Amino acid sequence: MDPDTPAGARSARHPLRGLIRYATPYRWRWLAIVGLVIVYNLTQVIQPDLVKIAIDRYLLVPHARLAPLIEIGVGYLAMTGIGLIANMTQTRWVAATGQAIVRQLRIDLFRHIESLSLHYFETHDTGRLLTNISSDTTRISQFFTQFLLSLIRDGLTIVLVLGAMLWLNWRLGLLAATVIPVIAALSLWFRPPLYRAYHLTRSRLSRLIAFVAENLTGMRITQIFHQEAKQLAAFDELNRAYQAASIAEFRWDVLFNRTFDLLGNLAVAFVAWIGGAAVLHREIPLGVLYAFISYIQQFFSPINSLTQNWNTLQSSLISAERVSEVLATEPTLKDPPEPVALPADIQGHVVFDHVSFSYRPDRPVLDDIVLDIPPGAFIGIAGETGAGKSTLISLMARFYDVTGGRILIDGIDIRTMAQRDLRRIVAVVQQEVYLYSGTILDNIRLFRADVSRERVVEAARLTGADDFIRRLPDGYDTWLTPRGANLSTGQRQLLAFARTIILDPKILVLDEATAHIDAISEAAVQEALMKVAQNRTTIVIAHRLSTIREADLIVVLDKGRIVEKGTHAELVRRGGVYAEMVQKSQLPLTSYA
Amino acid sequence: MARRLVWDFVREHGWLYLVVIVTIGLSRLIQVQIPNLIGAFINQLEHHGTMASVRFYAGRLAVVSVGFVVLFGVGQYLVNRLARVFEGDLRRRLFEHWETLEPHYFHRHTVGDLLSHVLNDIPQVRQAMGGGMSQILQAVFLFAATLYMAVRHVNLVLTIIAVVPLLGIPLVVTNMGPKMRGQSRRVQESLSEMSDLAEESLASIRLIKSTANEEIEGERFRARVDAAYEEAMQQVRLNTLFQSLIPLLTGISFALTLSYGGDLALTHRISLGAFVAFTVYLSMLVRPLMQFGNVINIMQNSSASLIRIETLLKAKPAIQDPENPRPMPRRPTIEFRHLTYRYPDAQEPVLYDINLTIPFGTTIGIVGRTGSGKSTLVSLLLREIDPPPGTLFFDGVDIRDIHRRDLRARISYVPQDGFLFSSSVGYNIGFPRERVEPEELVQAARQAQILSTIEEFPDQFETVVGERGVNLSGGQRQRVAMARALIKTKAEIVIFDDSLSAVDSRTETAILQSLGDLKRQGRTVIIISHRLSSLRHADWVAVLEKGRLTQSGTPKDLIRQPGLYRHLYQMQAEGRAPDGS
Repeated sequence: MDPDTPAGARSARHPLRGLIRYATPYRWRWLAIVGLVIVYNLTQVIQPDLVKIAIDRYLLVPHARLAPLIEIGVGYLAMTGIGLIANMTQTRWVAATGQAIVRQLRIDLFRHIESLSLHYFETHDTGRLLTNISSDTTRISQFFTQFLLSLIRDGLTIVLVLGAMLWLNWRLGLLAATVIPVIAALSLWFRPPLYRAYHLTRSRLSRLIAFVAENLTGMRITQIFHQEAKQLAAFDELNRAYQAASIAEFRWDVLFNRTFDLLGNLAVAFVAWIGGAAVLHREIPLGVLYAFISYIQQFFSPINSLTQNWNTLQSSLISAERVSEVLATEPTLKDPPEPVALPADIQGHVVFDHVSFSYRPDRPVLDDIVLDIPPGAFIGIAGETGAGKSTLISLMARFYDVTGGRILIDGIDIRTMAQRDLRRIVAVVQQEVYLYSGTILDNIRLFRADVSRERVVEAARLTGADDFIRRLPDGYDTWLTPRGANLSTGQRQLLAFARTIILDPKILVLDEATAHIDAISEAAVQEALMKVAQNRTTIVIAHRLSTIREADLIVVLDKGRIVEKGTHAELVRRGGVYAEMVQKSQLPLTSYA
Repeated sequence: MARRLVWDFVREHGWLYLVVIVTIGLSRLIQVQIPNLIGAFINQLEHHGTMASVRFYAGRLAVVSVGFVVLFGVGQYLVNRLARVFEGDLRRRLFEHWETLEPHYFHRHTVGDLLSHVLNDIPQVRQAMGGGMSQILQAVFLFAATLYMAVRHVNLVLTIIAVVPLLGIPLVVTNMGPKMRGQSRRVQESLSEMSDLAEESLASIRLIKSTANEEIEGERFRARVDAAYEEAMQQVRLNTLFQSLIPLLTGISFALTLSYGGDLALTHRISLGAFVAFTVYLSMLVRPLMQFGNVINIMQNSSASLIRIETLLKAKPAIQDPENPRPMPRRPTIEFRHLTYRYPDAQEPVLYDINLTIPFGTTIGIVGRTGSGKSTLVSLLLREIDPPPGTLFFDGVDIRDIHRRDLRARISYVPQDGFLFSSSVGYNIGFPRERVEPEELVQAARQAQILSTIEEFPDQFETVVGERGVNLSGGQRQRVAMARALIKTKAEIVIFDDSLSAVDSRTETAILQSLGDLKRQGRTVIIISHRLSSLRHADWVAVLEKGRLTQSGTPKDLIRQPGLYRHLYQMQAEGRAPDGS
């Protein structure tokens, strides 16, 4: 049973239930919105009625007077004004509420994701999580801002218009109401092909764009191999496919909208016919016919909008389900209920007490590791790829829990500590030094505003990063990006060391960069490492053996077990695994001389 | 130029455009009959209506609306279809044009910039030619026809009074349209900034966790979410304002109509039917007036887009093939004679006085640090950049006198980055050729030491590489790229541009062995590298330092001489990473 799956299926079954609680703080606001919608709709319904009154009461009487007509004009304007204000306020409130909900949801979701254990990130696609944060939350907010709004506004419009028609003349009103199912059916019938055509166009466009992007990047290869014609033909195929889809999409669009128009006009003809007959039979006055003609057209856009929002509801529900699933996921590693308070003067004495670890029981990754690292020692870990070196780091930082034995820091089992406390004592420097979009200053202090510029400069100076930083165009304010190749591997390492100085941990775990570092930087990195290692317990996972040559102790791992221990000189003399590794690292060139 | 394209297209499809004008125009003329019909109908009912007249008018209304809808649908579809055809043509022209430009151009423009033209500017032009054209036709005809009907059948003064407030509509549209567009762009930007931060946080989750930085990241994210919230609210404010201004103007106009028109009807200067018809005309005027505003906005945007596209199409290739090219010599000796090269926009030359002769059939290595000019040397050989006249020869023929098509037919190339198309492995390997036999694919893959890897793939040579397929490691990509170069069996010269940097040493040895085959087949092999082990089998090695050729000789000779080669050799022999990666 994977602990990172949703805690209960219940929340997944009612995805909106969990999200509704984001809306409940605004329940009075929602009520006010409904009120405003009613006001707006009433004004809309009253407007044709005013004209009706003008016709029937004042224009069709023998002794007509102008004064009431002006009053009606003023009344009409007042209705327009009230309606507009109600509508504007209502729309803004709905949007504000929807946006406030999505804001809270985003923040909660982000914080929740941050709190999940590393295992989750290694087993789940982070791209998907990103979709959860950005687009799923947007779609959920559309449930409030579009679907709910449409349900209230359009639903009320239909009800009020229908009510007005029935009130004016119920028989005629019922007859006119027969257009409602016709409109709804038409609208629903068109929806799927419209949706399909839209998506086909989108997907073909993105294929076309991906093709162009790739070919712009690889234009050189096309030209060198003289395959311009071949690529142009491939482009043509995609271009035409997109064009055809786009034309087909537009055709559906025109077909739908014009059919809708046609239906609208036919409905007017229909009302003219039945209403005209009713006028002739003296069942209704002429003004009522006028009102019916304008009312009947008011059905179309709300029904269309409602069916359109049916799709919004669908996609909101799917998104809500995905988001609730993430929110329902519990972190695998939890803090103990009462974490041990750490003493202020941690020494950094690390003990691996018969530590074992495996992802699957039959495949141990680490097996019975026993290691006592005195405070301030510098330990090197060597071993082939897959020997379990990186796992050691994950255990040290408690990204995973040991499956056997325990890890002690100053005699305290790390599982009894709060994770925050542990990670203040233990700092891990990864192979790949991650750079954020931000200034060098913020990259070193990890955006902690309470770390002063002076301290950052001091740290950079200590690690030797200061030199190259000052040579950059904007010094410490130079803007870095994760993908931008603005810094070399060596420089990134130096920045990571400066970060470590700022964090000032008692224990430093360094996963050495595998990527090539040029010789000059390598010396600088080595020197910086020695400075950072001072007064700290340091564990270095070495990929270049030169880094750990000076270590107090080198531990050689093979298939999850410690196979050799000793200083560089001792191990070379012993002629075992380590000595072989040292020799192998020089192999390609010895065959050469 | 791009503007010419628009006119040419319109002229080419002149008849269809005529149909568009006629159908849309007619449809609007028919549409304005509807209120008139309703008005006449009301008059009939008021005075001496019969059931026959009711049926007559209702039937008339139905027929007219069918006519209107069909004509309008046809015109609208046609004009938008034409716009999409134009869009496709324009996109093709742009792509074709890009194919003629050199790498230099693509260095100066990022892919993102160029793509934005395809993604934004071209659709913008389409919008002008489709929606824009359709809207302006509708608006002109409907506006004119409605006004005519209102003046003719109702009353001039009433029309003037009612229309004056409506004239504010296009003003509102042109004024607020760009603002709303800008705001909607800002909303998108703020959302993508929020996503960017989330993406970075997720990518660096290990760092965040190991430094207990969750709180700080959470706050940073909150700030972005708040910014997105503010932008979205601003958008709502603008949109609701816009949505209220238009009905406000119509409301005013309607109220005026009610009062003044009512008075006219009261005093029998207009009929009751005309009064009713007028109220309908009024509502019909709103749309064309909004459309006028829209079209102005669309035209402004698309003319800016058109200018940008024009600039793109104007970019001229920097290298021209000779009008009377000389044939590419067979089995040529390559000769650099006092070649000094400076990039057009650079101050200093990258290559100084290069003298180098590469006899046909030799394997030559070129060594140098990053920035020493190695890649420029390769670009010159491929004629991606033009050497000064009289400096680079193939068997005595200046490279500038050879057509690039002929030159490149005989040169094969393995790039440093191992660029592959996200298509099947087989497509990538067979890329240089029109037709490839399966055995040839296998042979090339074997030579590049990638055959066994490909055979392990789920669909072997049909396996798609890249985004939606198998992700290859750097070394695997380089080897596929190598197979791609080797399948071009007609090539007499093969250039390896630092293309073994990501393969491990055992594979490297195997690849170097198959390069020995190339040599035996009698081909010139040029290997650029900073890893000396790749140059083991070279007949000759040239050392480049800061654009100058400082040393050359056999690998054995060079080890004995003091210099960069020996320095690199010693460093790499110590088991350290070489310089210049």
